[in-house]
Amino acid sequence: MSLKTFRNRICQSIADENLQLALDNNAQRRKDGRLAAFASLPDYPERRLRAHAVKADVVAHLDEYLSQFIARVTANGIQVHRAADAGEAIRIFLEIAEDLPRRAQSTQRGKGETFVPTCPRSLGVRDLRGETILVAKSKSMVSEEINFNHALEAAGFRVVETDLGEYIVQLRGERPSHIITPAVHLRRGDVGKLFEEKLGIPYTEHIPTLTNTARKVLREVFLTADIGVSGVNFGVVETGTLCIVTNEGNGRMCTTVPPVHVALMGIERLVPTFDDLALFLSLLPRSATGQKLSVYTSLINSPLPGQVRHLILLDNGRSALRNSPLAESLYCIRCGACLNACPVFRETGGHAYASIYPGPIGSVISCALVNPKFASLAQASSLCGACKEACPVDIDLPGMLLRVRSGLSPQSTPHPTRRVHRTRRVKNTQEGVGIPPPVKLGLKGFRLAAGTSGLFAVFQSLGGLLSRIYSPRRASMRLPAWTGWGYSKEFPRLAVRPFRARWGKIKQVVEEKSARPPESLKFSEPTTQPPHKPLSDQFAEELAALDGHAYLVSEQELPARLTEFLKSKSINRVLVDESGVPIGTEISTIREPDPTVRAGVTGALCGIAETGSLVLISGAGQTLTASLLPEVHVAVLKTSRLVPTLADALRRPEVQKAASGVIVTGPSRTADIEMTLTIGVHGPGELHVFLIDDSMTV
Amino acid sequence: MAETVQLFVTCLIDSFFPQIGEAMVNVLNRAGVRVDFPSAQTCCGQPAFNAGLRSDARPLARHTIRVFEKTTGAIIIPSGSCAAMVQHSYLELFKDDPAWLARAGALAKRVYEFTEYLVDVRGVTELSACWPGKLTYHPSCHLLRGLGVDRQPRALLAAVKDAEIVELPECEDCCGFGGVFSVEHPELSAEFLKRKISNFEKTESPTLVVADTGCLMHIQGGLARQGKSQRVVHIAEVLNSL
Repeated sequence: MSLKTFRNRICQSIADENLQLALDNNAQRRKDGRLAAFASLPDYPERRLRAHAVKADVVAHLDEYLSQFIARVTANGIQVHRAADAGEAIRIFLEIAEDLPRRAQSTQRGKGETFVPTCPRSLGVRDLRGETILVAKSKSMVSEEINFNHALEAAGFRVVETDLGEYIVQLRGERPSHIITPAVHLRRGDVGKLFEEKLGIPYTEHIPTLTNTARKVLREVFLTADIGVSGVNFGVVETGTLCIVTNEGNGRMCTTVPPVHVALMGIERLVPTFDDLALFLSLLPRSATGQKLSVYTSLINSPLPGQVRHLILLDNGRSALRNSPLAESLYCIRCGACLNACPVFRETGGHAYASIYPGPIGSVISCALVNPKFASLAQASSLCGACKEACPVDIDLPGMLLRVRSGLSPQSTPHPTRRVHRTRRVKNTQEGVGIPPPVKLGLKGFRLAAGTSGLFAVFQSLGGLLSRIYSPRRASMRLPAWTGWGYSKEFPRLAVRPFRARWGKIKQVVEEKSARPPESLKFSEPTTQPPHKPLSDQFAEELAALDGHAYLVSEQELPARLTEFLKSKSINRVLVDESGVPIGTEISTIREPDPTVRAGVTGALCGIAETGSLVLISGAGQTLTASLLPEVHVAVLKTSRLVPTLADALRRPEVQKAASGVIVTGPSRTADIEMTLTIGVHGPGELHVFLIDDSMTV
Repeated sequence: MAETVQLFVTCLIDSFFPQIGEAMVNVLNRAGVRVDFPSAQTCCGQPAFNAGLRSDARPLARHTIRVFEKTTGAIIIPSGSCAAMVQHSYLELFKDDPAWLARAGALAKRVYEFTEYLVDVRGVTELSACWPGKLTYHPSCHLLRGLGVDRQPRALLAAVKDAEIVELPECEDCCGFGGVFSVEHPELSAEFLKRKISNFEKTESPTLVVADTGCLMHIQGGLARQGKSQRVVHIAEVLNSL
């Protein structure tokens, strides 16, 4: 992208008042959210450095880690494919689709992992005779990088984005403007108009109504999709686990409901162990959305009964990055914190960058992963370092930007599927890539002038004289706007007598001052740990902060309390898992998912006090649906099953070995429209936890 | 015996704001430090380095290293970004050149930013300076995040007599200078500057204090363009006022 085009796009963004309001809102709220979330992590600085070290190790030994990971994933029953570039990834996907099990077979699946699709197909999202293959897609930046939707639609597929923000931008025919909040550039009125036009609902600015409309449409998509596609946040090498975090529940839907799940993953997204995973999970949601944990942290080891899982590992320039001076950019966990902290992003939004990866990290990696012409993006930075400061993995982003500027980025390989980016190749193996020639010339001239002090002094005198001719009266000069500087500020006149000329006359009177320590200054002390609190109290408080509810009950009173609770909501039929929660006889229970059932009642392997989370693992295959499909999720957990931290929970062997598991942190939520929190998207809108107090009996 | 330090005055102060250099010498003298000025110095090479023109930055870096290698004692730089350049970026610039890397490393150890030297090395915060009225402080990006120097200038300002220190809202936001960025992306730079000036005005302070001349030149240039009467001063000027 030429600098002129880029500047034009920037000017458009700056002139767009709607966008400016949206971006200011994003910057402020994300920053506040991130700082508040990290306040609960007193050892954040150490964690950050540890995360950096873990990623450095992974990237340094990527080949070994990858082969171990692939072996584990394969042994777990997931089919692994490696794609060198975007074209290969698409080809692999098309081959998978060709082998698609017949839909008829999929509905025979014994364990009933999904609803039998009995919903009316009024929305016409899929041809009944299976002529159009429907792909339900959860958010994945890798898929954006390889232009997945475009390529598949060209091949006759129907691809539906199921993350609310992604769905909105897809309906608008746009691409995401932020790697975490795809519709950050839009306001509620834009979404209201869009839904009126595309989905035929009356115009509304009521965010819950908009969200609920999308929920209904997308529920249909989940239930009828032939293939679910997701990204992967972390691959755990020691177990071959795929970890995916989402808030709305669409990630869980896409990975469990359709008969085929295809996960797309960049080869660098590995962590060696579950302990490392706990470390990164303590950083990613806090940095991305200000949450202690995302609502759903899915841990996928094996296919579900009757399901086929594939993993496509994508290189697409990552190996070249790894072998370049930009290797550190591969430590990125795509949290978007650098975008939110960046003053440039705050003015431009993501679309101005033209690359799917915007902001500071995008300005480093886009030229390697997307197109070499994006090397010029690195020029749009004041090197203020807010990005590095915000990065939870301590990536030296300003340092990387400087390396891109000096032509140290690897060449990316253009390939046929990348239609939108097919432009002339830009040589970027040169210093000062992207700087306009006059600026470059000026800097080279300055270098010569400053080569020796004698010459420098001559130019200083000349400058002093010329600036007085240019501006005889005012101490500052008004330069024309085309100079760049003159666009918004005055330039000072050079001194007639520079410092070096004055030095001889500067008289020094040295006063002896005894050195003494600085006066006591008030520094922020590390927050003291709150007094030890029972885990059940901490759990209940954290859950309440997420709009979930916890009730402490005795084992004897549980059935009556559950019945009473369900009746208060006029629920007399519930979907249950296999944990054998005792429910009063007035409530009927079902095991097979049914779209009309309003509540699911489940047990839980354990609860995490620090985040108010439940850990659920799949047993014989169907346990996880009761916590996902109905609108109300009721969980029963003994207080002795509470553990203090996420790391404690992830250390449990059951979690590491389960075919799949999920950590549920509050009710399903989204903030994709104007950052306004809306509870209840694809997963349950209500979460109630009955804690059986067994502290006395232990 | 007074310690002697080497002043690396920076090309901006040398060429545009020599009075800041003089103020700094006075302040160091008052803190019991004798100052020497190696007159062969020119520019550290930061403009070319930040633009990605490393081949153009290296000769200036080598020149700076040669000039200061001939001297002894601490090297004091009244600008966060130039100090960060010599402390950190020289190591990057010469990472593939072991001989110069060693020389750059040796030099980097001697470099201190002005306020960092006063507070952390000399242990001085009280310099009998007096500045009646409101003052607000803008922490420059490279000083704050590049060098981690923030409490030092704040401590020095806190000790200024009669000064009422007002906190600048969103003080850690970049002012939009960024060297070549300010001419290459004038529209972005202008937006940052607008925000910075508007936050400055919220403090109702007539004076903004900085410890980096790039920001000074930039914010002062914006105020002048907008016809505003507020001033931007270098911290050395505040500490030099009695």
